[in-house]
Amino acid sequence: MINKRILSLLLYCILFFCLFGCSSGEQDSDNKLGNGWVPSGSLPLQYATQFEVDYYDGGYSLISVSDGSKFLVVPENAPVPDGVSKNITVLQQPIDNVYLVATASMCLFDALESLDCISLSGTKSEDWYLQNARTSMENGEIIYAGKYSAPDYELILSSGCRLAIESTMITHTPEVKKKLEELGVSVIVDQSSYEKHPLGRTEWMKLYAVLVGKEALAESLFREQTQLLEAVLGLESTGKTVAFFYMSPSGYAVARKSGDYVTKMIELAGGEYIFQNLGDSETATSTVNLEMESFYATARDADFIIYNSTVAGGLTSMEEFLGINTLLADFKAVKEGNVWCTGKNMFQETTQLGLMISDIHEMLCDDGTLAQLNFMYKLT
Amino acid sequence: MKEKHSLRNLTVIGIMLVLFAALAVLNISLGSVKIPFSETTKIFFGKGTNDTFQELIWRIRLPRMTAAIILGGALALSGFLLQTFFNNPIAGPFVLGISSGAKLAVALLMVYVIGRNGVVTSPAMILSAFAGALLSMGFVLLVSQRIQKSSMLIVAGVMIGYICSAITDFVVTFASDASIVNLHNWSKGSFSGASWEDVGIMAVVVLVTSVIVFFLSKPVGAYQMGESYAKSIGLNIKLFRASLVVLSSFLAACVTAFAGPVSFVGIAVPHLVKSALKTSKPLIVIPTCFLGGAIFCLGCDLIARTVFAPTEISISSVTAIFGAPIVIYIMVKRRSAVR
Repeated sequence: MINKRILSLLLYCILFFCLFGCSSGEQDSDNKLGNGWVPSGSLPLQYATQFEVDYYDGGYSLISVSDGSKFLVVPENAPVPDGVSKNITVLQQPIDNVYLVATASMCLFDALESLDCISLSGTKSEDWYLQNARTSMENGEIIYAGKYSAPDYELILSSGCRLAIESTMITHTPEVKKKLEELGVSVIVDQSSYEKHPLGRTEWMKLYAVLVGKEALAESLFREQTQLLEAVLGLESTGKTVAFFYMSPSGYAVARKSGDYVTKMIELAGGEYIFQNLGDSETATSTVNLEMESFYATARDADFIIYNSTVAGGLTSMEEFLGINTLLADFKAVKEGNVWCTGKNMFQETTQLGLMISDIHEMLCDDGTLAQLNFMYKLT
Repeated sequence: MKEKHSLRNLTVIGIMLVLFAALAVLNISLGSVKIPFSETTKIFFGKGTNDTFQELIWRIRLPRMTAAIILGGALALSGFLLQTFFNNPIAGPFVLGISSGAKLAVALLMVYVIGRNGVVTSPAMILSAFAGALLSMGFVLLVSQRIQKSSMLIVAGVMIGYICSAITDFVVTFASDASIVNLHNWSKGSFSGASWEDVGIMAVVVLVTSVIVFFLSKPVGAYQMGESYAKSIGLNIKLFRASLVVLSSFLAACVTAFAGPVSFVGIAVPHLVKSALKTSKPLIVIPTCFLGGAIFCLGCDLIARTVFAPTEISISSVTAIFGAPIVIYIMVKRRSAVR
């Protein structure tokens, strides 16, 4: 008898928790703010998967990033709504005095004509290949405030900074993020590097557009890039193979991992990345230190070589390229004069990944007349 | 007793030669690209049928393997000389700040060249690493003129290492991300990218230095018996000490210049060799150390380039995994002996 009672009680408990769990889940999806407000709509996203934006009446927007962080953007002069969940960071517009550390995000602000929102940079003036960013720093409109791992907290505080935009590198120094938050500086960690599709990275401009209130401009700029991509996607695959790499000073080749966004750009452009199944697609790293003989055996047959000058330094001639390693002279792309070098700006131009894909497509269709593209130049 | 020792030496050297030959065959036959053994044999005798395989063996595997043999031998020999000089079994090329000096020079080169959007070429790297290593060595030599105690010289070497590392860190603080990545990659060491041209240069430097070291076997043996004994047989101690520092630094500088800093070989191999031979006699230990270093590096490089192929891991990671336990063993054994 007692056993039956205990069993019944247990069943009631299980039923109660099941019901409670279900109802709280439903409540969560509708009640993201935690105060009962229901979103009036969401930002349509085509490629980006690492963030989402919900709109609320009164011009409020809730940004949810894939790392679990949430930011409520409150319009200028509007009150902060009551009862907002404690895990949501409130950002009151106008958003200015931003400390921007995520290098790839600078061009997105630049494209949104919002460089004036940024007053501090985690990259020095001489390391910017975006002309507007470099000019702003030279003019003193943006000041260097230390790199991601060693920010100048005093400068950040004294300049009235309330928002820092970090790259995922900050996850290696969590104490820096903690300290910034302790000082009242909210931190958005840009997750665009985890986007599977190249244009997913570009689409992050929509998130920044929400911050600076320029959603329409972002939509129009993004459409330009998708149109460039669609123009290329409509064409037949060229069937040409491409090797994208640089040689490290230690003598081994450093190639992009298969499935990385650069290799995806090559495939979208109608080419084929020559290194198949390279690296672990689940890890966050984007490159692989490739053993020399495997590199030689594979890359020597590539139709095109794109040499990544961002890390290894810019090359000016084919002679300089062959000086890196004499084995490169055996490569098909070298013999046929199909060696291209990336410009230093390639990895800072997230805004124009559609144009980059178009560049790669032009390279693949080159009949020998091209020498310079937007993000690459031919080595002769 | 003497016969017993000779037999032991012959057996040890015999086993090492077999091991060396086996590892050499494995290094030529194994790699990230699978080449049938029959084809490898044909290529080796100039009768290969596949052009790519031929290039892989003659221009990638063989120069790399030869570099590992020469530089591994050089590292072990350098370690033996330093251990003799300091009378300390854990002294190695790192102790005199040689690697730190080389790293500083390479860091300066990278920051300067990449900062101007240039490309760091292999000869420039080799020259700068060599210059940095020799500068550190010059400083140690200067100090050795004033300090007679070996223990104090170790302290001086460690301090030079600290100074060089501090300046490197200072340079890195203001360096671009690209320079930091390149320096990080270089400082992990690798035999990858060795060409026949490099092998030619390192062979001349290392083999000439090694022959000189071999001819110094007798004075080294006398020095092992104590400074007063060495003096009593007419050895110029000051000149001899300077020669030991110069020769060992020259060997270590050559390794750092061509392969970057490679750790633990210089400490672990001489100890292993002496333990196996049960003697410290330079006449037998010097050539065996060279052979031991070559075997150790052949084995470690084979692991570095094949275990996670086609991804290559740094040579220092592998040498540390195998070398560090030996160093710990030395320390524990020494402590037990003191007790």
